[in-house]
Amino acid sequence: MTEEIKCSCGDATDEIKCSCESDNVGIFPCAGASNVGQISNMVAVKLAKKGVGTMMCTVGIGGHRSGIVKSAEGCDYIIAIDGCPLNCAKETLEHAGIPVSKNIVLTELGIKKNHDLDILPSQVEEALAKVADCL
Amino acid sequence: MKIEILGTGCTKCNKTKEIVEKALLENGVDAEVVKVEDFDSIISYGVMITPAVVVDGEVKIAGRVPGVNDVKKWIS
Repeated sequence: MTEEIKCSCGDATDEIKCSCESDNVGIFPCAGASNVGQISNMVAVKLAKKGVGTMMCTVGIGGHRSGIVKSAEGCDYIIAIDGCPLNCAKETLEHAGIPVSKNIVLTELGIKKNHDLDILPSQVEEALAKVADCL
Repeated sequence: MKIEILGTGCTKCNKTKEIVEKALLENGVDAEVVKVEDFDSIISYGVMITPAVVVDGEVKIAGRVPGVNDVKKWIS
């Protein structure tokens, strides 16, 4: 998970980002046990580093951790990145009552699902480009 | 009761503290109000966006300034 806290004000440091003058965007990857699940996580990291939003813990939503759930509820826009049509990230968020603004499914972008967990940087870059086109 | 205001000292964080103190005053509730600004403490709650309010260890809101009535519900 990206070591960054976003404040709703706009000030920022390397670790704590304040966004008083911008929308809070939460990025939730499924991070599942497949190539596309792991790619979803890596793409979320890249998006967070590019400043698209704040990467958050999808599993923390499922675990009902109050800080993570409330952080999601405090978002103005939620991006769920799922590896496959099981849509675990989207379903987890919606099960917690958090509406998903944008759901991206990597297999629907032409990335074939398998259980090879050795992900190449080129695969992440390819997926990132496709995801970015959807945003 | 312990109320922690999580944030980096920004405008919204300061506003949140004001609102919490207003709610306590109006409801006549005595509580320890603490501002928490260090990263490690904030992240320990799983909070990814601030300001946030923690009442007796439970995060009540994050990323938004609460209303006075919200705080009154949490402290009642």
